[in-house]
Amino acid sequence: MFLIRAACLLLCVLCLAACDRLPQSYPPPEQRQPVAGFNPGPDAMMVSMEDSDADPVIVKDIYPGTGIPWRWTKQEPTVKVLVFSTESVKFSADFAIWDDSFKTTGPLEISFLVNGKLLDKIRYTTPGKKHFEKPVPADWLAGNTEATVALSVDKLYIAPRSGDEYGVILSRLGLKP
Amino acid sequence: MMHVLPILFGALFTLATAWSLGMLLLRNLAPSFDAWERRLLAFIAGSACLSEIMFALSAAKLVHRGVLLAVGLASIGYAAYSGALRSPGKAFEPLGLLWRWVFIAVFAGLTWYAFFNALAPEHSSDGMAYHLSEVSIYQHAHGFPRITNDVYANLSQGIELLYLFAFDFGRHSAAALVHYAFLIALVFLVLSYGRRIGRPAVGVAGAIFTYTCPVVLRDATTAYIDVALAAVLFALFYLLQVWDESRDPKLIVPIGILAGFGYAVKYTAFLALPYAVGFVVWKLWRARKPLLGPVLVIGLSAAVMILPWMLKDWIEVANPFAPLANRVFPNPYAHISWEDEWRSYLSTYGLHSRWQIPLEATVKGGQLEGFLGPSFLLTPLALLALRFREGRQLLLAGLVLGSTYFSNVGTRFLIPVVPFISVALALAVANLPWLLLALVAANVITCWPAVYGRYCTPGAWQIYELPVKAALRLQSEDAYLSRDPDYNIVRMMGRVVPPGGRIFAIGQNGTSYLPRELLIGYRSAANEVMQDILLTPLVRDYQPALSLKFDFPAREFRKLRVVQKGSEPEDQWSMAELRIFEGPNELPRDPGWRLTAHPNPWEVQMAFDNSPVTRWRSWQPASPGMYVEVDFPRPQPASSVTVEASDEMVNTKIRLEGMGMDGQWSTVSDHPVISAHPILSSLRMAAIAELKTRGIQYVLIHPGDFGADDFLRYPAAWGLRLAGEENGTRLYRIR
Repeated sequence: MFLIRAACLLLCVLCLAACDRLPQSYPPPEQRQPVAGFNPGPDAMMVSMEDSDADPVIVKDIYPGTGIPWRWTKQEPTVKVLVFSTESVKFSADFAIWDDSFKTTGPLEISFLVNGKLLDKIRYTTPGKKHFEKPVPADWLAGNTEATVALSVDKLYIAPRSGDEYGVILSRLGLKP
Repeated sequence: MMHVLPILFGALFTLATAWSLGMLLLRNLAPSFDAWERRLLAFIAGSACLSEIMFALSAAKLVHRGVLLAVGLASIGYAAYSGALRSPGKAFEPLGLLWRWVFIAVFAGLTWYAFFNALAPEHSSDGMAYHLSEVSIYQHAHGFPRITNDVYANLSQGIELLYLFAFDFGRHSAAALVHYAFLIALVFLVLSYGRRIGRPAVGVAGAIFTYTCPVVLRDATTAYIDVALAAVLFALFYLLQVWDESRDPKLIVPIGILAGFGYAVKYTAFLALPYAVGFVVWKLWRARKPLLGPVLVIGLSAAVMILPWMLKDWIEVANPFAPLANRVFPNPYAHISWEDEWRSYLSTYGLHSRWQIPLEATVKGGQLEGFLGPSFLLTPLALLALRFREGRQLLLAGLVLGSTYFSNVGTRFLIPVVPFISVALALAVANLPWLLLALVAANVITCWPAVYGRYCTPGAWQIYELPVKAALRLQSEDAYLSRDPDYNIVRMMGRVVPPGGRIFAIGQNGTSYLPRELLIGYRSAANEVMQDILLTPLVRDYQPALSLKFDFPAREFRKLRVVQKGSEPEDQWSMAELRIFEGPNELPRDPGWRLTAHPNPWEVQMAFDNSPVTRWRSWQPASPGMYVEVDFPRPQPASSVTVEASDEMVNTKIRLEGMGMDGQWSTVSDHPVISAHPILSSLRMAAIAELKTRGIQYVLIHPGDFGADDFLRYPAAWGLRLAGEENGTRLYRIR
């Protein structure tokens, strides 16, 4: 009986020792300062076809890279970019129309799309290097979210032997602040 | 080959120590037992004693190899010196020739598979994720460190403490071997039970049903704990049956110990104590014998096993039943919503209907993580055993001890009732020996590892190989384990992260091989908060897109609080910021303010930290009366209050209350003006900055994690740099 009493007493003491009321109210914490987004630089929203890390942002219709600074596209090469700023943002694309394919396709009409919306449509009547740049309306974009940027080529060159389809030779595509 | 020796030593030394302690405990009970059943029961009861000793050593931070050696040698030495290791007592009649050879053949064949699987490097899912992960932490800390960021560390760990004893000598595989030893003990206990009731064929058949059960065999060869629990509960049943025959009062103490040890092994066995008490009370009441003494002794013996775990949890995480019962014992370490979701998942495992359970649990095993074998479809036949007293006892015990199954419908949670069903099934057809033999033969064939792969769901938890080379370490542990993707990820983290580095991951297994601190998203309240922060930039519903403004004539307040009016069973209430204004100017947050909330006062500061990625959340369904409150140190003039919150409907059903100089609460405004709240800063960078503030240096992202693509595409926008990659899983270092 003594042992039982002693054990009960010990348990009560242990239980009391365990009582440690958790605080229920707190002072205001250290105030966080707004975190400026990382300094993106002028090319942060551009996708360069020579970059090895371009693959994750390619959505469709761009052939795999081979270590050279351009890649062939199909009909609607599309990339995703993270929009850091919505003000004064321009669509920007550097591409080329191959001389030999141009002989087959003739002039190309290329549409420029942001989030599926048509920004512009241009008819290219000569082959060679091209650069397109045009402001994107601010309300087409939302900050800190992804946007899709795409070209849409009206005619494709079909390789005679393989039957593969080719649009344009793409170097860079995206948005510029 | 030499690498096997420490493993075998660790396991055998643990088993010998436990057995010696048990033989000391049962030494005065010789007349009640056959020599073999005494040895078997001694191992189980001694395991409880060793576990308790390990608890004391862990609490005192005395888990050192020298101390464990001393404990083991002293236990073995004293038991030998005192003569406790001798096993006097009557001996059962020898088994008949047929059943003896049936048992030997099946036992030898399956042991060949099981032993090498247990000895092979341990790579079970839960074994690596927490059973041995916690053991590894305890070993490094030489006892219990206070762990508040892993709910699994708050479960009772009676068997894990035996693993800790073995782990110190032989690491992971020694622990798995200890678990396997419980299966051997269980199988022989079942066999002994059949012999004790005068039906040796039933004992053999029951033992074979238990041993061949695929989920039992798989579980026992890993560092899980379910088979050990089954052995403890069957031993408890066994002792009660022996006590019922002998009424030896000395059996009451081991009965109490085992009843309590069930809880110490696994919460789901909490019914062992009421079962034992109920059994003894019923028998004594019918015999018109005194009840109080035996009940008190059982209760106290069980309390010795149970209370340490409750006290540990109470002291460490303010909840004696942690990580359960968080509504009754609210605490900052586990969210109620987590418990609700956990329980909800465990009660279905994603099954559409509980009618799927019989086939899933016996034949398929894909969704319920293991299968019992087709023979257990015959479980209803076991009801025929009700015509025997022993059958009624077995089925009653199985019913009581298995009644917690629907709280977790994983097949493993049926393992504790497998021996009861096995013996009852054998007993049901015992009067037809040819049928019993046919059942045994069918069971052995369908449950043989080389056969069941033909019918179970591919990938169901099972023994699927005989890793002799790996077991004998003729193949290196690393080479064997590297077949496991989780292990490779862990190895990658170990290579990349320096000692002391802290990693956050939304999910990851295999941490028992990780010598670094890994905080996993769902495993504690603090971790869930970090996960919430990390996902806020990716989930629009988490972002503070709304501003709710309460305008009112300027006056002085002692306290202000925003109160929830709505009731949303599916939604939680959250608040990113609460700002108080006097005129056009926001009041600076005075260090003298006292902030509180109901529920979850512990995270209230996140509504006052000026960060768009942190928020106070109720972490339970929103209900009227919840509030977030500011107590001013002096009368405070104010004219408006703004709440920034996500645009979920529940966040708009709020009112503002104030306590004036008269000390009375009154409604200040019931209708906030709602407007869009532009988010101007970079949420990604802010989220990572918050993790950094919480001591995180690395973030692990699996390909299947929510938002994995965003991390992959824009690591720079998060402020992360890729530090390592393994099979698509990426480890980022916070810049």
